[in-house]
Amino acid sequence: MIAFCLRRALWMVLTLWIVFTATFFLMRAVPGGPFDGERALEPEIEMNMLRRYNLDKPLHVQYGLELWNYCRGDFGHSFKLGDYTVNQVIAEGLPISIALGLLALGFAVSLGLLAGITSAVCRGGWADVALMLVATIGIALPSFVVAGICIIFFVFLIPLFPAAGWGELNQLVLPALCLGAPYAAYIARISRTSMLDVLSQDHIRTARAKGVGPVRVVMVHALRGALLPVVSFLGPAIAGILTGSLVVEQVFAIPGLGSHFVYAALQRDYTLAMGLVMLYTVLLYSMNWIVDLSYAVLDPRVQLE
Amino acid sequence: MAFNARNAFAFTAVASLLAAIVWATMGSGLPPADFTFGNLSEVKSFDPAIISGQPEGNIARCLFEQLTQRHPETLEPMPGVAESWEVSEDQLTYTFHLRKDALWSDCSPVTADDFHYGWRRLLGPRTAAEYAVLAWYIKNARRYSRGGSGISPGDPVEVELNLPLDAINSLRGELLHGKLVSLDNDLDPDRRTFLVEIDGQQHRFDPVDDQDAVGPPPAGARWCRQVLLDFREVGVQVLDSQTLRVTLENPTPYFLQLAGYYPFSPVNRRCVETHGNPQWTKPENIVSNGPFNVQFRRIRDRIRMVKSETYWNRDSVRLNVVDALAVESNSTALNLFMTGKVDWIQTVPPAALRIMLKQDPPRDDLNPAPYISSYYYMLNTTRKPLDDIRVRKALSLALDREEICTKILAAGEIPAYGLVPPGLEGYSGATCAAEDPEEARRLLAEAGYPEGKGFPRMDILYNTDEAHQTIAELIRKQWQRELGIQIKTRNEEWASYLSSHRQMKYDVSRRAWVGDYADPSTFLDMMVTGGEQNNTGWSNAEYDALIEQAARESNPEKRRQIFRQSERILMDELPIVPIYFYVSKNMVKPYVRGFYNNIENLHPVWAMWIDRDHKGPNEFMKGRP
Repeated sequence: MIAFCLRRALWMVLTLWIVFTATFFLMRAVPGGPFDGERALEPEIEMNMLRRYNLDKPLHVQYGLELWNYCRGDFGHSFKLGDYTVNQVIAEGLPISIALGLLALGFAVSLGLLAGITSAVCRGGWADVALMLVATIGIALPSFVVAGICIIFFVFLIPLFPAAGWGELNQLVLPALCLGAPYAAYIARISRTSMLDVLSQDHIRTARAKGVGPVRVVMVHALRGALLPVVSFLGPAIAGILTGSLVVEQVFAIPGLGSHFVYAALQRDYTLAMGLVMLYTVLLYSMNWIVDLSYAVLDPRVQLE
Repeated sequence: MAFNARNAFAFTAVASLLAAIVWATMGSGLPPADFTFGNLSEVKSFDPAIISGQPEGNIARCLFEQLTQRHPETLEPMPGVAESWEVSEDQLTYTFHLRKDALWSDCSPVTADDFHYGWRRLLGPRTAAEYAVLAWYIKNARRYSRGGSGISPGDPVEVELNLPLDAINSLRGELLHGKLVSLDNDLDPDRRTFLVEIDGQQHRFDPVDDQDAVGPPPAGARWCRQVLLDFREVGVQVLDSQTLRVTLENPTPYFLQLAGYYPFSPVNRRCVETHGNPQWTKPENIVSNGPFNVQFRRIRDRIRMVKSETYWNRDSVRLNVVDALAVESNSTALNLFMTGKVDWIQTVPPAALRIMLKQDPPRDDLNPAPYISSYYYMLNTTRKPLDDIRVRKALSLALDREEICTKILAAGEIPAYGLVPPGLEGYSGATCAAEDPEEARRLLAEAGYPEGKGFPRMDILYNTDEAHQTIAELIRKQWQRELGIQIKTRNEEWASYLSSHRQMKYDVSRRAWVGDYADPSTFLDMMVTGGEQNNTGWSNAEYDALIEQAARESNPEKRRQIFRQSERILMDELPIVPIYFYVSKNMVKPYVRGFYNNIENLHPVWAMWIDRDHKGPNEFMKGRP
């Protein structure tokens, strides 16, 4: 276990370095710089700005300087949000994205499991067909379409929720629902398959033969076994929800990391974009790590090698 | 073990979900603002020196007040921090008398020194202020801004010495005043050294950053931060704490308007130097002198401002709490407006605008109005066949601007036949010929492309945007229909598009310009040879001379004549093809009062108030049936 973690940590450092290098050079290879605006700058002023952010130095020197700063945990100042450092932007945005992500995940797991179990139990019935149809549509529809439909229905036709914003309970519902919808659909399909698998196994037959009631069979005996594939999907799902909230955050004007990331990339905010890429890398990597660890905890058959 | 772990897993999941809900709703219970507006995007900063752009301007106008203010409807300069001023006969010297009751938010008085400090900061090369350009109308300001490049031997200079690395970064180093004797390596700004005579002794100075100034300097030299023109040479003079004298380079008829523009804000030295850059702009630190103070700021969410209790004219400010939302998506902003969460939005998505303008009865919250801005196509005159004036004329003559304005835009945009938009006082611009496909075909044949035969492949570059795309497609079709030439369209995302522009990697490119102030010069100055916005490769010595002459002319009528002449040249040679003049697309709730359409699309929040009992159209809807 310890050896496994050490090896993983080493790989993580290597991955981060590669991602850093690729991002650094790709970002600078894209045409346009952070100080290009509609108004072209007077050459003297542009020079002063470049000097202030070390952008006048040769590329390899910039790379060295920035890598060193990253090693010290200093992500620098945002170019476009001049009053903030990258660390401050992340500190404000990350909790919002995490909260939104957790809520979305809560929706995804509860709705997904409910649908998956129902359709497994009513296999072949109309409920099964209808639920799986909805799930397929849920996977296929991009989140901005779901968001648009939700806004038309729940903001304008039946004014239940506000159109956008963050901070009130009723402002959370729509974005969390839209963000969680595709994951709910996945979870529904996964849990249906694994439920069917488990339901046909010997220990379930034994339980039934012993006279255990149908609800108890499904909710206790079968669900435990059927949950494992769902749990293993949670790791990628959490990472996906956290990094995939770009569109939903924009549509609902939520000040999370997704919005920051989109605008940082579009506005060539080198420092902020780099900081967010690195953060997302760490998130993705550690989520996978935790999932691997949780396998070992949840399933005694798995050996960490 | 496994059983416990599973319990723990479920427990953690539920607990974190609850924690998320609790955390996320902690912000609730925020008392609603009196007035909320959509501010397009997150602002770069509150620092009036380093910002530019409309969202930043809206906030800066709330937080800071300059020497003059603009009337919300007519935009006439009105007394701001200065209660009166005198202008010299030659229009070069302005003497501003500051009011005694102008206070900072920390209750200290706003003095002429605060303006001197703020303006020097704006011009200082180390501030790297984009809008320093606007202050270059002040005598010697440009030379000061250019740092080491702006001085030559014999000039009085100031040498700023380095500070230790742990010094607060907004402090200036010790200043030595002297006379520049000579410059070495004056071509390479990084290796330039300066020989300066101070009190009869000559010293050599080598400018470096503070972190490089730790080691011993090269033999016979001293480290310094920078060597600049002596700021005492710049036309900003503090006569006493209540009087500021400004001397200009040239008579500048719009200087009083400029003096009310946010880059010219006073800056509180104590605040900046106590907290450093950029911490002084944090809501808990900032000291401002405008009608509102910042209460808090959440990145990409909102800026909350409250009425200032120290502002001299506080009795005429009727809003107590104002929220500026950083809603970047126009559709989201419109949704918020429609559901009553926002009282003013600054733009509307084109598709929605078309529908809303056709509504019957007409809406009481939408009133597009022209403002000083121009939409045009730039032609790269360094590429064939656009170097041929006949081809450029043919392209312009073949355009049906009416079709563009009525079919695509539909918000009352005005077809443009000149660069300078209408509405500027006393100025009627020169125009190019209106649509004439016959003549266009004749000119194109004369240039060697009869019926478009042999015309090279060209493309129209535009930045990714639905409206620009539709216009480019229509123009492509018009040119194909009238001239028989095949043209493609090409879109690039904003930053790439700007970069292609600068490097002139385009044939035809869409461009727009919004005037900084109400004067033809803000448009016509762009097209001078080598101008930063003139990426067409076009150059005309007569045009350059006229623009020079206009800058020095103090008679307004003569000045306008000169501008008309220069626009005539521009419209004869057509390095740019004007297409249309924008209209503003504000939506304002009927209960918002004190909001006026004006030609700079400038809407000071201090002038607005909420009047929910108001019946009938508000000031904003004036002029709309």
